Amino acid sequence: MPFFEFITPLFLLLIVGGTFVGVIFGAIPGMTATMAVAVCLPLTYPLGLENGLALLLGLYVGGISGGLVPAILLNIPGTPSSITTTFDGYPMTQKGEGEKALKIGICASFAGGIISLIALYLFAPALADFAIRFSYVEKFLIILFALSVMGALSTNMLIGIFSGFLGIFISLIGTYDISSGGNGKHRLIPSGLEYWLDSGFSLLPVLIGIFGLSAILQQAEAGMPPGLSRDKVRIGKSSKFSFSIFKGQVLNVIRSSGIGTFVGILPGVGGSAASILAYTNAKTFSKNPENFGKGEPAGIIASESGNNGLTGGALVPLLSLGIPGDSTTALLIGAFTLQGIQVGPLFIGNNPETWTAMIFAMLIANIVMFVMMFYAIRYVALIVTIPKHILFPIILMMCVIGAYTINYGIMFDVWTLLIFGLFGWLALKIRLEIAPFIIGFILGPSAEIYFVKSLESFGDLSIFFTKSWIAVLLWFLILGSIAGSAFISSKAREAE
Amino acid sequence: MTFTRRIILSFAAATVLSASSYVAVAQELPRNVRLVIGSKSTGGDTYQNSAIVAEALAEKLGINVKVDAVGATEAFKALNRDSRGTTLMIFHDQSYLGNLYGVQGYANPFEGYKIGPTVAINPGNAYLVPKSSKYQSMDDIFAAAKAGEKVRVAIQPGGVSEIGFSAMKNAAKVLSPGSEANIVAVNTGSQSDKNQTMWDDLADVINGSIQANEQFTQLPDDDRKAMRFVWITARPATLAQAPAQGMGNTTRDQMLKFADPETNVPLNGSENFTFDKEFFILYNQGMDDAIVQQIDTALTEIYAAGDIQKRQKEAFFIPNFLPSGEALAHLQAKRSTYEQVIKDITSN
Amino acid sequence: MGELTKVTIDFQSSHLLFPIIIGCVLAVLGLAIVVRERSRITTSGSHWRRIFTQMDKFRFFGTLALTLAYFSLMVPVGDFWPNTGLGFLFCSIPFVFLAGLLFMHVWTARSVLVLATVAVLVPSLIWWLFTEVFFLTLP
Repeated sequence: MPFFEFITPLFLLLIVGGTFVGVIFGAIPGMTATMAVAVCLPLTYPLGLENGLALLLGLYVGGISGGLVPAILLNIPGTPSSITTTFDGYPMTQKGEGEKALKIGICASFAGGIISLIALYLFAPALADFAIRFSYVEKFLIILFALSVMGALSTNMLIGIFSGFLGIFISLIGTYDISSGGNGKHRLIPSGLEYWLDSGFSLLPVLIGIFGLSAILQQAEAGMPPGLSRDKVRIGKSSKFSFSIFKGQVLNVIRSSGIGTFVGILPGVGGSAASILAYTNAKTFSKNPENFGKGEPAGIIASESGNNGLTGGALVPLLSLGIPGDSTTALLIGAFTLQGIQVGPLFIGNNPETWTAMIFAMLIANIVMFVMMFYAIRYVALIVTIPKHILFPIILMMCVIGAYTINYGIMFDVWTLLIFGLFGWLALKIRLEIAPFIIGFILGPSAEIYFVKSLESFGDLSIFFTKSWIAVLLWFLILGSIAGSAFISSKAREAE
Repeated sequence: MTFTRRIILSFAAATVLSASSYVAVAQELPRNVRLVIGSKSTGGDTYQNSAIVAEALAEKLGINVKVDAVGATEAFKALNRDSRGTTLMIFHDQSYLGNLYGVQGYANPFEGYKIGPTVAINPGNAYLVPKSSKYQSMDDIFAAAKAGEKVRVAIQPGGVSEIGFSAMKNAAKVLSPGSEANIVAVNTGSQSDKNQTMWDDLADVINGSIQANEQFTQLPDDDRKAMRFVWITARPATLAQAPAQGMGNTTRDQMLKFADPETNVPLNGSENFTFDKEFFILYNQGMDDAIVQQIDTALTEIYAAGDIQKRQKEAFFIPNFLPSGEALAHLQAKRSTYEQVIKDITSN
Repeated sequence: MGELTKVTIDFQSSHLLFPIIIGCVLAVLGLAIVVRERSRITTSGSHWRRIFTQMDKFRFFGTLALTLAYFSLMVPVGDFWPNTGLGFLFCSIPFVFLAGLLFMHVWTARSVLVLATVAVLVPSLIWWLFTEVFFLTLP
């Protein structure tokens, strides 16, 4: 078996260790898979290529998966791509179904990871060829499709959409980023604040500020009510997890994993869009969309299989075009060049052994992640029973680490935490809607660049309708999603 | 409560103690150094280069050096804040090109900062055309511009990616005044965006690199992704130091065909334009000269030992050590050449 | 589609295009909200009064003040030992302890002792993990 020479005890140990560390990074609010990979990248130089990749891919899979833990238990997305997991995960925790929600999320993550891995293994070069048919126009429509979920997530349609646009507006503050195609000029910065705001607000600190810090402020305002205590919650007792939850969700799992994989393949569209799109779709196609946002397992399934579907997808352009599909795979390029290996369209053909090793590493990492998390989770779920006066200061401290290190040591990111913690608190008081706001904030910069570049390149507004059959298809999906959310909101009004 | 008060007090005491001991040794690099870089990517060439240098320096001087990928504007801010040598910066020609192109957030590094030694070159900056393109060489491109044909070049504006484009415009002007108007920029972002503009038929020529684009040049002719080099901007002397086997399936000799003097992009009547992406260290303006000296000495010894060159060549970098004095003169001369090019093509 | 849909984007000013579009949409939506919710807006004074009377002011503003102090002290303190992350450590310990006291409802000797132990151990462990093991920069 000359092909499997790379499977050594060290190889396996590195995957297990990598996955474990990855899960921890993912689970800490503000620490991401990208960060985990960045931190461990220098370690891979002495390890050699296959072993180094084993470690990094373990970190990647673990990091993406770990994000569901704080999302479900604390309502703080551990990574941006688990944002939609909070929508249904946290309501379940509040109902005392935290462990069940976690297990649903873990199973969905596993399914997403495996499905996208299969797609990667079987179709990598073909998928890459398809992905390059997506120009600025199609990418803009994909983002628009993801944005169309804003309406569906709002309780009050008008205010929800306003909040979403406000999110986009605030995401534009700073510089029109040169490295994504902008002209590098400042805009929307109040004069005198250029020194602080020239790079705008970073996504992660905004996210953990709005979700983490503002929750602590609300609790402080309410005088720290003694919340979920051990006897009150009785995790997992009220409603047990069983695999039968997934009955009737097969289509959802496959669709969401497919969306995740596909978004991963498109360079630049970004990881968070994957779970948002999967969630939008699940809601649109669901028989009871009104349950979404109130603790619907299908929402968790969509979100988590979507964001783990990303893992295999993002490797497609990396290995068949030499172009990273997301920020984490961008770091993998560094690992390859450290070893003097070129990535590009010839990579798979030139390095069949490395390619096989990567597929195996991903497969094992997914299995390890599943086993590790599924059986350890009932202890992790006890986090919510830690007394608040101990838990909250420590969460805040972890948020500080996450914010400070996300851009490798920028203090303004820590202040961003406080600014958006206050904003989140205030938003609740004036009934702005946080979910659409955050989605607008996440997708705003991509929406801008693809919209402006489409017009700049083609010089015609009609291009959005006439570019290709893909564009037309995307318009149908967008309209379907908007009609869906209008239908839901009218149904909700009737119910009132 | 007294328990914690005592802790706080002892912290305060420790603060005073170590702060005073710290001041006494300010003439050399502190034990913990932060090396900020002008790129936000920890997978890119700036990071790799800096990591190699940081590791060598740390080992040589017995200190800790952490590389932080904070990006250009934040790196300059961090460098400004501290003159004790706790923060150093590594960046490349972008640092002054950004300023020459008037990008917001770029000050002139020769005025606000001390220039340290150069450490390496990335010789990979290149321009490519689709494999099926009718342009076989740069000569064809300039001829087309002269004949009134628009040649669209995809670049990321405002720096290293644009300088080659500016040189093309300048060359067109030298060869046939007025024809530079036919060389137009397609402003885009990352390498994947630049490739995509080619595949979307929005650009005829794209900026790229040997490292990122070589494999595309090896694709079969009927693959729509296939590309061809037309110009490698490196100086011939730089490229000659690259490993003979080159990169991928392109040997060094094949690369040299796309560089000066075999490929002509005139700077003026007599010389060709060349561009090497050189990495160098920057210091806070007020940093003690003793530290500058310390780093120069350490790097001189490191390069004399020869191990760092091996690491650099493995990663397709060309070792390029110039102590701070020489580096300053060299980079200033380079800057004024490019300043002239940019001035010439903008003033008609 | 004819001439109506033709647009030319000037790259040098393209950084303003999208902000203007979004700004206009925001203005329209904002106006619609003001019109529709005018009754709620005019009575917002009492809404805020109620919020402030019901608020646990000590804990809310205490949290804010502690967080402000925590964030502002980290960098100056850390500056004494550059690039070691000690500023983070030495500010986190008192922060966790004081915030814990603030959030605690009944101060018993035992719970304060537990809190103090946690306040020393957890930040130290985290600091060690991130600066020494993962080699990250902290203030």
